[in-house]
Amino acid sequence: MSSASPALQQQVTLIELVDRVLNKGVTLTGDITLSVADVDLVYVGLRVLLASVGTLERLGGEPS
Amino acid sequence: MTPTDAIYVYGAVLKGTPADVFARVSGIDPATEIRLVEGGDVAAITSVVSLEEFGSQVLEAKLRDPDWLEQKVQAHNTVLAAALGETTVLPFRFGAIYNGEEHVRAMLSERAELAPALSRLNGALELGVKGFLDGAAVRDRLSRSRGIDSGDATGGRAYMERKRLEQQLDDDVRAFATSCAEASHERLSAAASEARANPPQYQSDAAREMLLNGAYLVRADREDDFRRTVQGLEERFGDDGVTYELTGPWPPYNFVDGEEAEAP
Repeated sequence: MSSASPALQQQVTLIELVDRVLNKGVTLTGDITLSVADVDLVYVGLRVLLASVGTLERLGGEPS
Repeated sequence: MTPTDAIYVYGAVLKGTPADVFARVSGIDPATEIRLVEGGDVAAITSVVSLEEFGSQVLEAKLRDPDWLEQKVQAHNTVLAAALGETTVLPFRFGAIYNGEEHVRAMLSERAELAPALSRLNGALELGVKGFLDGAAVRDRLSRSRGIDSGDATGGRAYMERKRLEQQLDDDVRAFATSCAEASHERLSAAASEARANPPQYQSDAAREMLLNGAYLVRADREDDFRRTVQGLEERFGDDGVTYELTGPWPPYNFVDGEEAEAP
């Protein structure tokens, strides 16, 4: 679809992937919670995302 | 499992799904295999992880390691993607970790909404489409088509007139971006079972303003039609400085619940 180079395309896909796996999907009580500044996530890529990964609330094991 | 192990949950499938679906992929810890843990009408897609890697104390540091995170995010997606085209899969967000299978089963039994969510998805795939606008190119085109020259006319009246035309051009570029985003989302939504317009993300490159950030739930047998719709949009808006990026098929991360997202 896009005329982007393969390297750029790969980068795009990683960004899409990180956006989905970390920001979407069913969330459950007992998950770890990542607070991520959503705006920064995609255009600046993974490294900056990591700088904005905030607190990790708790590790699961107690769904109730 | 040993006392230092935990269970990582990738997502859910319907109860009775053959474990073979996941036979070709390994877990987020590459040494482990995928196990289905049934509870209620569904089964959790799981694998064993070590608390030495995923315990709360170490995990925070791990999450700041881009190489580790990229590898684990890829692995999470690879497991879920193994089900695409085979059976319906409901993705969970990264990082659902339980102390044991009995906790996973308790979670499945409590979460009565998982089975209806799987029925709703019914084997569909997610495709992502982003649309980008080269605003300067659109502005130039509009400007040329109106014969506006940026010449050297002087004097207050000429200056005011040019300011007015510039403002008009800016407004017209905005109007074009909005109508193109709406038309694109509408055509893509028509080729999909469900659609989500996520907020466009800021781009540091001004020649690539994101005007559409859409996710579309598409039946596997309509994927080719959907791809042709994207091609049709490129043909329609390509000359206007718009490009599209299609990604997927993805597990339906954006469609785990039935809520409609905000308009573009």
